[in-house]
Amino acid sequence: MSGRTLVDDVPPRGENDPQRVNDDAAPLVGAADPTRGTIPSGTRPTSAGARARRYLGLPAVLALVCVAVGVYVAVADLDDVESRLLTFDRIIDATLVHLQLVGISTLVVIALAVPLGILVTRPAATRLTPVVVTLGNIGQTIPSLGVIVLFAILFAPGFRGAVVALVVYAFLPILRNTIVGLQQVDPFVIESARGMGMSSGTILRTMELPLAVPVILAGVRTAAVINVGTATIGAFTNAGGLGGIIYGGIVQSRPPVIVVGSILTGVLALLLDHVLGVVEEVLRPKGL
Amino acid sequence: MSDLIALEQLTKHYPGQEKPAVDAIDLAIPEGEIVILVGPSGCGKTTTLKMINRIIEPSSGIIRLQGEDVTRADPDDLRRRIGYVIQQVGLFPHHTIGRNIAAVPRLLGWSRQRIDDRLDELFHLVGMDPAIYRDRYPKELSGGQRQRIGVARALAADPPVMLMDEPFGALDPISRERLQNEFLRLQGQIGKTIVFVTHDIDEAIKMGDRIAILREGSTIAQYDTPETVLAAPADDFVKEFIGSGASLKGLGLARVSEVSLADWPTSVISEGREAARRELDSSDHGWVLLLDEHRRPVRWAEARALQGEGSLDRVGLEVRAKVEPTATLVGALESMLGSRVGVVVIVDGSGAFLGTVDMRVIMSAVESMRAAAHKRVLDDRQRMRAGQEPVASDIGVP
Repeated sequence: MSGRTLVDDVPPRGENDPQRVNDDAAPLVGAADPTRGTIPSGTRPTSAGARARRYLGLPAVLALVCVAVGVYVAVADLDDVESRLLTFDRIIDATLVHLQLVGISTLVVIALAVPLGILVTRPAATRLTPVVVTLGNIGQTIPSLGVIVLFAILFAPGFRGAVVALVVYAFLPILRNTIVGLQQVDPFVIESARGMGMSSGTILRTMELPLAVPVILAGVRTAAVINVGTATIGAFTNAGGLGGIIYGGIVQSRPPVIVVGSILTGVLALLLDHVLGVVEEVLRPKGL
Repeated sequence: MSDLIALEQLTKHYPGQEKPAVDAIDLAIPEGEIVILVGPSGCGKTTTLKMINRIIEPSSGIIRLQGEDVTRADPDDLRRRIGYVIQQVGLFPHHTIGRNIAAVPRLLGWSRQRIDDRLDELFHLVGMDPAIYRDRYPKELSGGQRQRIGVARALAADPPVMLMDEPFGALDPISRERLQNEFLRLQGQIGKTIVFVTHDIDEAIKMGDRIAILREGSTIAQYDTPETVLAAPADDFVKEFIGSGASLKGLGLARVSEVSLADWPTSVISEGREAARRELDSSDHGWVLLLDEHRRPVRWAEARALQGEGSLDRVGLEVRAKVEPTATLVGALESMLGSRVGVVVIVDGSGAFLGTVDMRVIMSAVESMRAAAHKRVLDDRQRMRAGQEPVASDIGVP
C-alpha cells in the first residue's frame, strides 16, 4: 500500500510545498498566516528588510491584539464575576499552562511518531505501514472531547490526562507526514546512494531524513496548531489552560470572558503556526 | 587480457514468478573494455547489471571481481569499488554539485585537499567549470549536465569498474549523441572496464567494444564485437533485433525511384489472348499484367480469366495499386498490402508501366539501408576511438 493514498493532497514530487500537505489545519489558523500562499515556498528573502517584515509582521499584529485585550481588561466596566475571572495573573497563568499542554504533548508525539514512522518505512516493515496508520487514524477520528474525557478517566484527570489525550489526538498528523515524507524521497536518489556504497543507516541519516524534513515539519506544525484548539477542551477535565477561562465564562454566562479566552486561544494558534512556519523554512535543506 | 568481472551461472529468481528473471548467465568482461548488454525490454539486462554490484542480490551463482569472489562480500565495500550511473542520475538534491561528486571519496575518508584536487580534475574531465558549478544545486542543471555530473560522481574514487544503466536514455537525441561522443573520448583517457545496459542497438554498436545480445531470461544470444554481430548475426533473433526499429523510418524516407524495380510479365490487350497466355506460361508468376496500347496497366489476369475467346478489356481484376516513382517506399508498401496480387505497379507520369515493387524489393531496400546505417555508426565509432579532435560544438555545455 502506498503512503500516497494516506494523505489527500500530497504535493507531486519535485514541487514540495509542505504547507499544503495538511490543509486540515487551515480552518484553525485561518487565512491570516502570511507565510501561507503569499510567499512561494523555497524562495528565500533576499534582503534583511524583507525577511524582517515577513518574519515579524504577523507577531506584531498579534502583539497589538494582545495589547488591545489587555487594555480592555484593564479599562472595561467589568462586573464582580468578570473581574474575578479576568485577572492578569489568571490570564498569564492560563496561557502558560496552555503552552505547556501543547508543547509537552507535541514533543512527546514527535519523540514517538517520528521513530515509528521511520520504523514502518524500512523495507522489512512496509507491511506494517497500513496497520500503524489505521491505529493512528482511530486516535484522530474519535471526537476530541471523547478522547480527552476517556484519558482523564484512564489516567488522572487534570494536566497529565490532558497531555496523554493530546498525544493520542496529534499522533496521526506527525506519523502520517513522517511516513509520507520518507516515502516521497526519490527512489533513484536512494538507489544511487546505495550504489555508491552508503550503508542504510547513512542513507537514512544523510538522505532520507533531510529530504523528508519539510514534510515532517509540516505535520508537526499541523499537530501543534490542532492541539492549541483541542487543549481548550482540557478544561472539562480540570487541566487548566485558556480553556479554563472560556469554560468559566460559559458557566457564569459572561460573554466578555468567553471572548477574551477565545481571542487569546486564536492568537496562540496563529503565533505557533507562524513560528513553526519560520522553523520549517530555516530547516528546509537548501537545494530543494 | 584478463577478465575483470566474471559472472558464473548467475541467476535471479523473484519469489512468486515462475521463470527466473536472469537464468544462469555466464559472462566474462575483459579489463578496459566497454561491454554492452542489449536486448528487448524485460529480457533481464538491467537485473543482470544490478546484480554485479548487488543492488539486486542474486539467487544463486557467483560474481567475481578481479578474480575475487564477491558474492558474499560486504556489499557496501564492493559498491565503493564500482562506479554506478543510472538513467535517472539520482543526484542528491540537497547537496551541492561538488558534494555530490565527492560522495564516495568522503565515504572513503579522503582528506579535504585530496577531494578538492580530485573535484577540479573531474569537473575538467566532464567539461564543466568548477568555479561555476561546484556550489550549485542539482536542480539548477540541465538534463545533460546532470548526467555529466552523474558520470563524474561515479568516477570520483577512480573505481576500476563502472556500471551504467541506460545512462543517456532520458536525454533528447542531440544531447544524447553529444554525451555518447564525449563519453567515448573520456573512455579513451580513462580506460575503465564498463558494463553498459541499453535497449538501443545503435547505441550498443556505437559504444561497445563487445555486445552481449540478450533474450528473455538474460540468455545470451550472441556475445561478440559489434563488427561480428553485424556481419554474422548468430541467429534470427539477433538478426531481427539488429534490424528492429529503424527500418520503417528508413522506408518512409526512401523513394521508389531509388530502388531497382522488379520485372513482371505483361501483355498488350490488342495483341489478344494467345499472346497473354504465352506470356503467363513462360513466367513463374500467377498473374499477367494487361496493358493498353499506351502501355498503361489496365487489368490483372490469371490463367483462368484468359481461357475462352473475346476481348480482354473486362477480364481479371482492375489494377488499383499504382504509384509513381516519387512515392516513398512506405506508400508503395501500403498500396501493395491492399493489392490482391501482392505487388504494386509503378507507372511514369503518363501512366505507362515501368515495373513493379514487391516484398522482395522492399526487403532488399531495408537490407541495404541497414548496412549503410551500421557502416555509418561504425565509422563514427572508429573516428571517436582514433581520438580525433572533437568537433567544437561537442565541448560546450548545452
